[in-house]
Amino acid sequence: MKFLKVVGKYIGGIEFSAGYRWQHWIRAISIFALIATGFYIANPFITYQNTAVEPTRFLHAEIREWHIIFGFAMIAAVLYKTFYFFFFKEGKYERESIKDAFNVKLMIEQVGYYLLINKHPHTKGIYNPLQFWAYTMLYVFFYGIIITGIALYAEVYHEGLGAFFYPFAKSIESFFGGLAYVRLWHHIFMWAIIIVVFVHIYMAVYNAVFGKNGGMDAIFSGMKWEKFEDATKEEAQKLLHH
Amino acid sequence: MKEALMNTMRKRIEELRALPGVGEKSIKEVLEENGFTRRDFLKWSAALAMTLGLPASFAPVVAEAAEVSDRLPVVWLHLAECTGCSESLIRSDAPTIDDLIFNYINLQYHDTLMAAAGWQAEENYEEALKKFAGRFILCVEGGVPTKDGGEYLTIGAHAETGLEKLKRSADKAAAIIAVGTCSSFGGVQAAYPNPTGTVGISKVLNKPVINVPGCPPSAKNIVGTIVYYILFGALPAVDNFNRPKFAYGLRIHDLCERRGHFDAGEFVEQFGDTGAENGFCLYKVGCKGPYTFNNCSRERFNQHTSWPVQAGHGCIGCSEPDFWDAMAPYEEPLANHKFMSVNADAVADKVGLTLLTVAGVAIAAHAALSAIKNPKE
Repeated sequence: MKFLKVVGKYIGGIEFSAGYRWQHWIRAISIFALIATGFYIANPFITYQNTAVEPTRFLHAEIREWHIIFGFAMIAAVLYKTFYFFFFKEGKYERESIKDAFNVKLMIEQVGYYLLINKHPHTKGIYNPLQFWAYTMLYVFFYGIIITGIALYAEVYHEGLGAFFYPFAKSIESFFGGLAYVRLWHHIFMWAIIIVVFVHIYMAVYNAVFGKNGGMDAIFSGMKWEKFEDATKEEAQKLLHH
Repeated sequence: MKEALMNTMRKRIEELRALPGVGEKSIKEVLEENGFTRRDFLKWSAALAMTLGLPASFAPVVAEAAEVSDRLPVVWLHLAECTGCSESLIRSDAPTIDDLIFNYINLQYHDTLMAAAGWQAEENYEEALKKFAGRFILCVEGGVPTKDGGEYLTIGAHAETGLEKLKRSADKAAAIIAVGTCSSFGGVQAAYPNPTGTVGISKVLNKPVINVPGCPPSAKNIVGTIVYYILFGALPAVDNFNRPKFAYGLRIHDLCERRGHFDAGEFVEQFGDTGAENGFCLYKVGCKGPYTFNNCSRERFNQHTSWPVQAGHGCIGCSEPDFWDAMAPYEEPLANHKFMSVNADAVADKVGLTLLTVAGVAIAAHAALSAIKNPKE
């Protein structure tokens, strides 16, 4: 982490870059928009009082359009985050979590923390093992929903990007055993994401309430604050210029 | 390019013309006897050319191909099926041109349509296999049971299994066409739990098989595939499930007459309501058109008269693999697909909500506990 300033007994630095925060919130908003529009597409629950037999106001098409717009926004965010994890310089703190993820002792200690038995263990990277595996699964679900989504998209929009993806979409269709199964899995991946997001929000609130280090603020401001118990303010200042 | 294509076809037709016809009369004579004028025949040819994606200028070539089609006899094998596909081909108010050409003349063996029965029928079959070896088009209707050596389907007095008969016949065929969903993908007998181990014929053969699925497929798709083979001497371009692209390239949904209502969000809520009267979209009463590749919305059935969606019932996705399982329930949207569960009626949303509730209860309990007994710092 790059330390920037000292306030009282805390030293602050950038935990989340601007790009990271943007992708997080674009992803978050897209997920909620996609869930709402997705439920409508699966079973169109609202309609308007028909005044004419001829279709004139294209409600379903409009909702589908928003679903696609947010879908591509989410794809962009997920791709950005994937590249961030594997290749970005700032991604090294995330990559360090891989070692922790296979540390069984650490994992048990983490479970112990949630069971209110022992203290929060110290991790090398920024994610604890449980968190790391939960996010790994989340990305499996993300890529599952993206791939099935593109396969469904290419069958509706045959030109342009749809045409580009068409051969790929067809192989996805074969893999799942038909477009109906692609649709079913798209729906199942959505539910998996809903549950991970639900638990994620709880854990974020939990850490904000009990962590008391302003950790939740980082996803808005990018700043993370760490307490330095033993060091003096002067030593911390040195750390800044280091 | 058009010129070159036409020349290839004419060359192929000339080659076929040199072969002896299988019937006593030529196709031209039979059509005339049944009251079809040359004009009717050309109109039919033009329609078929369109179905195959050829320009109208190819109508005369298609007509010539149909005239020499008696050089390539059709042997029709029935396996595990209901004969609905044969019905689709022959069910019409009067003998159609398709009918005359493919049932009265070219069909060398078809055990429901032929006059012979028993030993005589068996003999005809062997005769046809021998006489037209390497020349006939094998149309297979029905899936092939494979469990326990295929003994769930035996044919004739020798109790030969369908599996053996199929393999033996396929070896001698010039081209193999799987007519209907059963022979293409296994169909109803391959639906869960598939006690006979039925599969589509392509699974047990090592020759290319063209799938013409549908329950039943329209006569146009069956005849179109056969004529394609006659015209080109090769099997048509196929999609990822080996279905001819000229017929199965687009979804039912893409060319549906009710599509406008789908995009407008105007749906039939239940059969017989005002929406149904106004011809609204059938998606909410279970139409599976968005997941089904076929040309019903363009070609329709029974001489272009009507098709399920026009008649007011949604598509059930009958030309898709595994459709009896994949598309159920047939009169509800796919979101209501039932998954295996304790009460066997869990839809994705129900399972999801249950899991979400469990997570919610666990979270509430954990939060309450943590509030009483703070986590260790």
